[in-house]
Amino acid sequence: MNRADFIIYWGGNPADCHPRHFTKYTLTPKGKHVPMGRKGRTMVLVDVRETPSVRAADIFLQVRPGKDFEVITTLRALVKNQPVDQARVAETGLTLAQLQDLVGRMKNARFGVIFFGMGLSMTRGKHMNSAAVLALVAELNAFTKFVCMPMRGHGNVTGADVVMRWTTGFPFGVNLCRGYPRFNPGEFSTVDLLVRGDNDAALILGADPGATMPQPAIDHLARIPTIVLDPKVTRTSRLARVHITTAAMGISAPGTVYRMDEIPLPLRPILQSPYPTDEVVIRRIHEQVKAKPAWLPASFKKVPCA
Amino acid sequence: MLRITGGRVYDPANGIHGEVKDVCISDGRIVAEVEGTGVRTIDASGMVVFPGGVDVHTHVAGAALNFARAMTPENQREAVKFIHSPELRAGIGGITPTTFATGYLYAGLGYTTVNEAAVPILSARHTHEELRDTPIVDKSCCVLMANNELVLDLLEEGETERAKQVVAWLIWAAKGYGVKAVNPGGVAAWKWGKDAKILSEPVEGYSKVTPAKIIASLAAIVNDLQLPHPLHIHCNNLGAPGNISTTLETMKLLEGYRAHMAHLQFHAYGGDGWNSLRSEAATLAEYFNAHPNLTADAGAILFGNSVTITADGPWQHLLYQLTGHKWGNLDVENETGCGIVPYVYKGSNLVNAVQWAVGLELLLLINDPWRIFLTTDHPNGACFWRYPEIIHLLMDVDFRRERVRKLPAKALKRIVLGDLDREYTLSEIAVITSAGPARALGLSRKGHLGPGADADVAIYNENPDRELMFRYPRYVLKGGQVVVEEGAIRKVVDGREFIVHPSFDENIEEYLRPLFEQYYTMSFDNYPVEMHRVEGADIRECG
Amino acid sequence: MTHTVVKNATCTFCGCVCDDMELHAEGDRIVKTKLACGLGEAWFKNHTAEHLYPDALIDGQPSSVEEAVQAAADYLYEADMPLVYGLSNITCEAQRAAVALAERIGGVVDSHTSL
Repeated sequence: MNRADFIIYWGGNPADCHPRHFTKYTLTPKGKHVPMGRKGRTMVLVDVRETPSVRAADIFLQVRPGKDFEVITTLRALVKNQPVDQARVAETGLTLAQLQDLVGRMKNARFGVIFFGMGLSMTRGKHMNSAAVLALVAELNAFTKFVCMPMRGHGNVTGADVVMRWTTGFPFGVNLCRGYPRFNPGEFSTVDLLVRGDNDAALILGADPGATMPQPAIDHLARIPTIVLDPKVTRTSRLARVHITTAAMGISAPGTVYRMDEIPLPLRPILQSPYPTDEVVIRRIHEQVKAKPAWLPASFKKVPCA
Repeated sequence: MLRITGGRVYDPANGIHGEVKDVCISDGRIVAEVEGTGVRTIDASGMVVFPGGVDVHTHVAGAALNFARAMTPENQREAVKFIHSPELRAGIGGITPTTFATGYLYAGLGYTTVNEAAVPILSARHTHEELRDTPIVDKSCCVLMANNELVLDLLEEGETERAKQVVAWLIWAAKGYGVKAVNPGGVAAWKWGKDAKILSEPVEGYSKVTPAKIIASLAAIVNDLQLPHPLHIHCNNLGAPGNISTTLETMKLLEGYRAHMAHLQFHAYGGDGWNSLRSEAATLAEYFNAHPNLTADAGAILFGNSVTITADGPWQHLLYQLTGHKWGNLDVENETGCGIVPYVYKGSNLVNAVQWAVGLELLLLINDPWRIFLTTDHPNGACFWRYPEIIHLLMDVDFRRERVRKLPAKALKRIVLGDLDREYTLSEIAVITSAGPARALGLSRKGHLGPGADADVAIYNENPDRELMFRYPRYVLKGGQVVVEEGAIRKVVDGREFIVHPSFDENIEEYLRPLFEQYYTMSFDNYPVEMHRVEGADIRECG
Repeated sequence: MTHTVVKNATCTFCGCVCDDMELHAEGDRIVKTKLACGLGEAWFKNHTAEHLYPDALIDGQPSSVEEAVQAAADYLYEADMPLVYGLSNITCEAQRAAVALAERIGGVVDSHTSL
């Protein structure tokens, strides 16, 4: 807000999904070093379809679905003045002139930023796309100041990353079966585990996989003892053995939440909920488990995951 | 109540250097004598008794380190594992240990107090949350100030008094203990992709504020506020060949003030490029020895894996370009920034060999151990759990010379380490690992074993292999409780946090509120860290 | 009916986590929001403090929280490889408790990030 004069949104629709992103954080505010506010900034939107966010953009680049990686790679080549194949560029739905113009603007920015959304990180190429954006931004720093940031969806998904990193050393998908943290995305990530049928119980906290996950994963959740903590009775609650209603975060439950730029904020709940908070319920479950004989990790006895 | 008997006691703060005497403990404190029934005795015959270690400069919690954890899963995989048990939390050690492992590893080394050296105010809440999950050790935080635009803008206007009020308010808002200056002006300039290399030139975006002005102003403010720890400064041009001139210039600016020079090893280089890099430890030590207003920590490096994390964003970008390795950059709105680059120090590399020697040379050439402390700027130069390797190098000249001979021949001409005969005594080790840093931090109940001190004690088996001796303490006591026995965690206790409450004019909020509303995306009322987040707060009023 | 106002409240609906809301509540519901976007306003107004759902369900039947906590602990203790999943719509304090529990039961802990 204070510095960026060149802003790219890639694969996201903030106008609908993060309505105040433009007005509070990026585009419209008069920044300390961008006193003109909106007039002092250029905004480029890159997406596969026209969304309401296009209206806010100065330049809209419509990429063919699944061609983001090719576009980013071409930009990286152009940044370094390397030759690019015209025919390949044409396949992306954009012209070489458009991309050259974009590279020129990026290099001439005083402070540039790329926000990338799920349209980039969750479509074909997935983490390859994210990695390519990060590389592009790192390389742009040879010319000017450039940064990037993923647009995170759920309220405190950033907090989950942050907390897991400091407690276990890894951001998600952490396996504690052996008594110490192990990380292997694809092996220990939820959908893979459930589809393979690896888990023999599940505790679902503030999520509704019964409404969003692939059917084989949902089928497995219905087969095993599933426990749900949620402010509402969800679809997952209906296939679970146990549901416990909890107070809604920020409305009637106090605590801390991380913003997508990893800044922690306190919550100021206004209502008194008739239900306990997630924290209290999880702690009570923990106390009950703790009262039972201690579980010994794999290194002490048989492999518990077998 | 507890009596440690038969051990040779090293308590240099109280003039005790290896005498066999009893150390008595009651209610978590050292006392002159314990009597009556119910006194437990620890037989420390054949052992040495030290005050618990104090780390004056380390990075163990907060946004930057936590970012580094995520950046290096390959290192986490090969790291030491902490297996969950009914008493212990799970964790992993390695170059960026998890919070629980950090507490266990420090305690396992005989350290009981750590100073987290770089806390951005905007994310101080995060740092305190992590410190709450860092068990056993007591903690304090230095708050980043030398690139804070609220402060810099006031210096630009020449409003020194108001700047002092703002600094005091910010320290209290962050629940900090000291003030840290990192690459003064350089991080603010980095937000424009620039650096601040010359102390007398205005910082990018300002016309009057120079790094020199920032350094002198902050040193004066910290003195005026009577903070227990002096200005903690990371000089400009960290790691750059020839930076000795900047470091000397910085120290000259600090004449008349107390100051702590962080990780001096990274600031003691001669030469005009990577190929001509040489040690200037002797020049630096000569000046330093003559100026008792200064303390410093070594910031030594050891060969092997590390991850470099610093608020020095521009340096990190250079390191990324040099190594082609991963690079993470964080800019913190209006206040500071941070760069993260994994790095491997190699004995065969000329630059790394010189760096390795410089850290040890400073420790040997600075003749007053009360002013130079053992650190590796964890995790930048090496991990804190490798301190015993450095102690071995300091205490054994033959072992050190043998290591020097293994360096590249070219490196030998650029260092003086091979010529140094000094060997540290056990008393001096107790000073650089505990008594000295405790005094520099102004922690009067730490770093000694006199009556009234916190009963933080490390007991080591006497062993000619100093590395082994210091790696596995026989017992470690924290607040009078035995937390480590034979290298294993026996009991987990909670640590405290030391914070200061400098006096300031409450009306300063009237000045700050509108600025916040204009320049910050966080609400002013949500900015200060709430007291309940600081575990076991030990508040010192000052100013 | 009591009218309460909270300033600088934080909205947790999307990843922006704006912390400058002003909320007005009457009784057990939020009646007015200032500075919230359309999504935020709906989020605040859709959550009330009414007792709309049973405290807990075991096999679809209403039960007490106490019984449900005991049943949950039994299932998780017995499991060899339990999964703790979600974490995106709970506070950091609850997340820390969830990781501690996952350790105790020797399970896998995962969030929406893995999707």
